[in-house]
Amino acid sequence: MNELSGLSRLRFLPAFLWAVALIALWEIASWLLLEVLQVPMAQSKLPYIHEIVSTFGQYGNTLANEGWVTLTNAALGFALGAAAGASLAVLMSASKWMERLAFPYAVASQMVPILGLAPIVYGIVRDEQAARIIIAAYITFFPVSLNMLRGLRSAHPYALELMHSYAAKPWTIYWKLRFPASLPGLFSGLKIAAPLAVTGAILVELMGAQHGIGVIMLRNLYYGPSHTYMFWSTVIVGALLGVLSYLIIGWIERLAAPWQPEFRSKGGGR
Amino acid sequence: MDGPLAAQVATQEDPVTHQTITASQKAKRKAGDGKASRIWLPLAGGVLFFVLWELQIFHRIFDLKTYQLPLPSAIGTTLVKNFDLLVNYAGYTLTEAVLGMLIGSALGFAVALIAAIWPRWGSGGVMIVASLNAVPIVALAPIMNLWFGADIGSRIAIVAFTTMAAMAINAHKGMKMIDPLALDLMHSYAATKFEVFRYVRITSSLPFVFTALKINTTASMIGAIVGEFFFASRGLGYLLSNSIKVAKMPLGWSCIVIAAAAGVLFYLVVERLEKVFIKWHPSQRA
Amino acid sequence: MTESTAALVPEIELEQISMQYPAAFSDVLALQDVSLSIAKGEFVSLLGPSGCGKTTLLRIMADLIQPTGGRIEVAGKSAKEARLAQRYGIVFQNPVLYDWRKVKQNITLPLELKGVKKSEREARAMELLELVGLQKFADQYPWQLSGGMQQRVAIARALAMEPEILLMDEPFSALDEFSRERLNEELLSIWSKVGNTIVFVTHNISEAVFLSDRVFVLSPHPGRLSAVAEISLPRPRTKEMRNSEAFFRLIAQIRDSFEGV
Repeated sequence: MNELSGLSRLRFLPAFLWAVALIALWEIASWLLLEVLQVPMAQSKLPYIHEIVSTFGQYGNTLANEGWVTLTNAALGFALGAAAGASLAVLMSASKWMERLAFPYAVASQMVPILGLAPIVYGIVRDEQAARIIIAAYITFFPVSLNMLRGLRSAHPYALELMHSYAAKPWTIYWKLRFPASLPGLFSGLKIAAPLAVTGAILVELMGAQHGIGVIMLRNLYYGPSHTYMFWSTVIVGALLGVLSYLIIGWIERLAAPWQPEFRSKGGGR
Repeated sequence: MDGPLAAQVATQEDPVTHQTITASQKAKRKAGDGKASRIWLPLAGGVLFFVLWELQIFHRIFDLKTYQLPLPSAIGTTLVKNFDLLVNYAGYTLTEAVLGMLIGSALGFAVALIAAIWPRWGSGGVMIVASLNAVPIVALAPIMNLWFGADIGSRIAIVAFTTMAAMAINAHKGMKMIDPLALDLMHSYAATKFEVFRYVRITSSLPFVFTALKINTTASMIGAIVGEFFFASRGLGYLLSNSIKVAKMPLGWSCIVIAAAAGVLFYLVVERLEKVFIKWHPSQRA
Repeated sequence: MTESTAALVPEIELEQISMQYPAAFSDVLALQDVSLSIAKGEFVSLLGPSGCGKTTLLRIMADLIQPTGGRIEVAGKSAKEARLAQRYGIVFQNPVLYDWRKVKQNITLPLELKGVKKSEREARAMELLELVGLQKFADQYPWQLSGGMQQRVAIARALAMEPEILLMDEPFSALDEFSRERLNEELLSIWSKVGNTIVFVTHNISEAVFLSDRVFVLSPHPGRLSAVAEISLPRPRTKEMRNSEAFFRLIAQIRDSFEGV
């Protein structure tokens, strides 16, 4: 076990050093722009990272509160969209008719710029809360349903015949075989959708809302160069929310479906 | 990754056909009307959807006014009336999307290549780029605007940023997932590291590269449109958000229709290119 | 298990079974008029090259597919009734273990479906694991086991419902020759303890000879029964018999029956 954690530490070491190097490079570039090249609005374009960090210390509470609003709204829409998407996948896998009806549209919707719909949805409901949730749900819906359907179909034909040989009822086949087999697909859909749901929520906030990280992002942008560090802080919070949403889903996946090949320790196998 | 999955889906049909063969005649008839329903069913569903919309059934259910949710007929009329403008703007947006995607994909591929050549340090770079994938585009828009101005450059930068990650991740996967025997073969030819890349790694990464390109067509359209929401003075995204602000809903909807059509067109072009470039791949066999 | 008692009670009876698959130009006759009778407690093999319909025949016995002609009786019932009553256990070419269940839970799956109490299930699973010599691996995931071990788990699962019949479709064909021979011996030892009827599909002549009381030889295009070989080797069979003259003669005899086709 000890050796294992040592190994994984070694695996993340390059990424860590990369991050450190990038931050150093950033600081130097920022200094060059400001002091040497004296570019106009240098700090707005590439602010000192230490200044942003100090802003984080100063306004941490505000950033956390607004970020929390965005995250919870995105999460609510995400949960609704995921539930609806998974249900559609089950319907499509159970009924040939349903599949023929819905599948082409689900695929086509993947080629349509979905986020472009945000202003339209906002235009229809005119309610920031509802618009945020609807957009997050809509964005989540299709990737989840397509990936879940792929997962439901991934059950091996022999495994289905085995169930048939046990004279298992259709419901039992779903419960014991198809659902567990679909979990990897479901989670890959969820992992695609989670950062998108956060993006969708922030987009709605930029178009007009009372609370959320997007609101203070826009406000500090309008205040101009004097608020540049706060603006950059909001951008970073937005990015962190996206990464966080991905990590949370990944963590849930580890709990819900720990048997997947990518979670297998290299040393344990025979 | 796609290969084995596709294969599984195909074999899964087997037990079904086994069960339906009791009477061969019946099976053949079933297959016949299956083909028809594959086209007619979704078509009929789509038409029904539009009819219900046009008859304001949805409006009644959700208590909406036609100025909130315009009717398909109104959208159609507006689309025809503003067709020249829409096509012009669509061209502008597509230019941003295509240029941005090319730059972003090239950068992503370069990251993957570096990571494959120096795996020890390079894969950390791929990890960093992958985490950029989770950064919301909308947060990028104002920054890119500061760097590149309100012009076409800022949207190209946004698109490049958002398409880089998918390409880096997929191309890296493709360069790593190689049949060890193929490498042994190159080794037996006394091939140099460069030749191994030239003849094996890059070719075998192509299917993954096209997977990434297909993901990126959609992502690039979204990036371009969302980028235009805020600081642009042209393009479908600009027209869309402005039409909504002044409550010209049908015009906003026509923008979406045209954007969707442009997105599908872009996707089909990439798919066509894929067919030309990787004819040899199992996924391309009929 | 001797020939004399075996001949008394038939466990599986096929009469004039045929199977026709519809194809684009002309229908393919996978099986033509296959009739055979398998006695209670007998170990028989269905042997033949690919395309001879041996797997199809087994799947008909398992009621996974229905024949287009003929009559079949399994344990005194129709194939479907036998399946619904869980009178047989089946083992496929792949172990088909569920990745998300530990070894023990894979074995209890059929018991779960029949609503057997948890404590009873667990006890039964441990018994079966002992039978196949894998007690130590009860709480491992399938991927932590070798291919041969996985197939042993599949056999234990097939025995979970205490079926009278065990249907095995080339269960060891994916294993290397050494594991295959070891598992052959183990299967015979399991069979000597459980004493059920086994129908074993294989394309390996020596495997069929080593295991079986009788070998049904099938030939392709169309699939039909071309010979039945009585294997007179004494029981229990031992490793050493693989080198006996009688063993080689039986193999040669069966190989010759293919030449004649």
